[in-house]
Amino acid sequence: MIDIDVRLRRGEFQLDACIRAEVPALALFGPSGCGKSSLLAAVAGLLRPRRGHIVLDGRCLFDAARGIDLDPPARQLGVVFQDARLFPHLDVRGNLLYGARLRGGADPVALAETAALLGLEAHLPRRIDGLSGGEARRVAIGRALLSRPRALLLDEPLTGLHRAARRELLAHLVRLKQELRVPLLLVSHDAEEVAAIADRVALIGDGRIAASLDNAGFRTRHLPRDALHSSTLADTGVDP
Amino acid sequence: MHSRFPRWALALVLLAATALVQAAPPTLFAAASLKPALDALAKAGALGQPAPRLVYAGSSQLARQIEQGAPADLFISADQQWMDYLAARQRLAPGQRRNLLGNTLVLVAPRDASLMVDLTRPASLLAALGQGRLAIALPDSVPAGIYAKQALSALHLWSDVAAQLAPSRNVRAALALVVKSECPLGVVYGSDAVSEPRVRVVARFPPSSHQAIVYPLAIVAGHDNPASRALVEALAGKRAAAVFRHWGFDVMSTPP
Amino acid sequence: MTDWLAPAEWQALALSLKVALVATLAALPPGIALAWWLARRRFVGKPLLETALMLPMILPPVVTGYLLLQWFGNASPVGRLLTALGTPLAFRWSGAALAALVMGLPLLVVTLRTAFEQVDQRLEQAAATLGASPWRVFIGVSLPLARRGLIAGAALTFARAFGEFGATITFVSAIPGQSRTLPVAIYELINQPDGEAGALRLVWVSLAVGLLATLGASLLLARGARARSEPAA
Repeated sequence: MIDIDVRLRRGEFQLDACIRAEVPALALFGPSGCGKSSLLAAVAGLLRPRRGHIVLDGRCLFDAARGIDLDPPARQLGVVFQDARLFPHLDVRGNLLYGARLRGGADPVALAETAALLGLEAHLPRRIDGLSGGEARRVAIGRALLSRPRALLLDEPLTGLHRAARRELLAHLVRLKQELRVPLLLVSHDAEEVAAIADRVALIGDGRIAASLDNAGFRTRHLPRDALHSSTLADTGVDP
Repeated sequence: MHSRFPRWALALVLLAATALVQAAPPTLFAAASLKPALDALAKAGALGQPAPRLVYAGSSQLARQIEQGAPADLFISADQQWMDYLAARQRLAPGQRRNLLGNTLVLVAPRDASLMVDLTRPASLLAALGQGRLAIALPDSVPAGIYAKQALSALHLWSDVAAQLAPSRNVRAALALVVKSECPLGVVYGSDAVSEPRVRVVARFPPSSHQAIVYPLAIVAGHDNPASRALVEALAGKRAAAVFRHWGFDVMSTPP
Repeated sequence: MTDWLAPAEWQALALSLKVALVATLAALPPGIALAWWLARRRFVGKPLLETALMLPMILPPVVTGYLLLQWFGNASPVGRLLTALGTPLAFRWSGAALAALVMGLPLLVVTLRTAFEQVDQRLEQAAATLGASPWRVFIGVSLPLARRGLIAGAALTFARAFGEFGATITFVSAIPGQSRTLPVAIYELINQPDGEAGALRLVWVSLAVGLLATLGASLLLARGARARSEPAA
């Protein structure tokens, strides 16, 4: 259950976001600069809204009126940043287990499962500066997953990858969504990505949430006709 | 181009040249302990016009600098060894060395301390020191420290105090330790005690207990000129002698 | 080998090593804290703190020595308290270590501050979202990523501490076994007409120490160049 009602402002820019959704995966969809990444940062605790509240899974993370503002560690969210933000002084295994070690210890079984889910088994001893863009994203996702989060936040996971990597990562994400037990909040300007994963989509534009659509409604409005039968979707096994 | 340089122009040039030469004052390198007295003399105009440039440092530093060609005209050392050092290296103008000043060695305490020390009895000195340390200059390398070690050894006090010394970089630093009451006693020059009202002399070392403290004066090789000689005469003159005595120095009236 | 240096010189060398090591290690906690605050925080009086830190580098060392004497000497309030506690600094190797620390700390702070400023704060944010408290972020992410600056700064501090002379001799004099360090021994020798050869010998010793310190720092830097699986606790 995601309940967001906040105002974000930075300089000239302002976004009033009001969303309530009770779905496994919610997407924030809109063009670059509409404020969706800022909204994700606000949910993560990295940005302070002007007013309002954020409630996730029954826990109040932020409430301006009541003076509640949990710091990021207390929110227990797994955030996957667009620039991955892997730690250069640790190898892949070290990065994956960073959050896990802070929140109760490294579980070798969980590590193996997550590595398998994201196709990282062979990469565990590698240094992160040798990873490709797609590999780095997958490590970032795995790191967030292994930290036992109450929700997973993804900021534009496919952006900036070349075509083959996008296809591969999208397949991982779809599989991930099926395995995931916690809510997922996805930020993206890519309709394909959103359609493949989100159960509900909040459209951001003009400084507010313009509309809220379910998956089918979103596909109808935002995917071109022939994309409904695109090979990408067929690969992922999702029925249009 | 004129075939004959006008005489008046020539005279002008010569005059200017002489003025330039005379305008550069002589440079005197002097041991640091002479600073109060020499500064007073220069200020009073007793060292000639224009007043000489006065450079103060440890005698060893000054001697080594002169050896390496520093632009000093005169040198006053705090002991004979560094003058001998330069003489051995032919860095002194011949026939222009003389003993200028003498000094004494005293034991000082902070002004408000009420103790007196009898240097003929070790117990007296040790009692006055108590848990504290005796401030001296470095006993193996700085003239004031060397004299202090000689005097204390001659009076059979060295072995008693050797473990309770606070050796300083120079005698002024040792004096400062006593002024600040960091050390209950210090061995310094008589002239230092005169120039520092915040300390009191509690004992005097007999002159026989140490090598005579002599400040030799010499002209540096290659700098024997009228200006340098005039400065030597000023330093050895009556007016300077009165000032030196006022600051606690003995004045030597004859050349070595 | 033992004839190469006189006993008094061995003593001076051992004392210098002890003083420099203690000063460097003792400088690390305040140095790291100061470097971090200056790199990350904005606060009233920040320029004042920066200037105060620079003072030991700007002032003549003898002046710094006199200030230490004024504040920590036997006759000062702090000095009297320390003496009452049985841990006086005046005329002790601990005082020499304090002088060396004061002279070396600015070098550590300047070097380490630059290193901290180069640590990507977005990585610190990521660590926070993964559950790291500010302390954990510092220990597990910021400090490891700044280790080159830390090692270089510590090496500089050690070198400065080892060669410290003016402030030391002014504050704690030149007492054999307590404060007669190697630089003091060299100073004494060059103050003697025939002491140049001996001074040169001790200069070679100092160079050897400097070389070893540089090698040590390089080794530390190389060892951490490979990423490890275990993050710093």
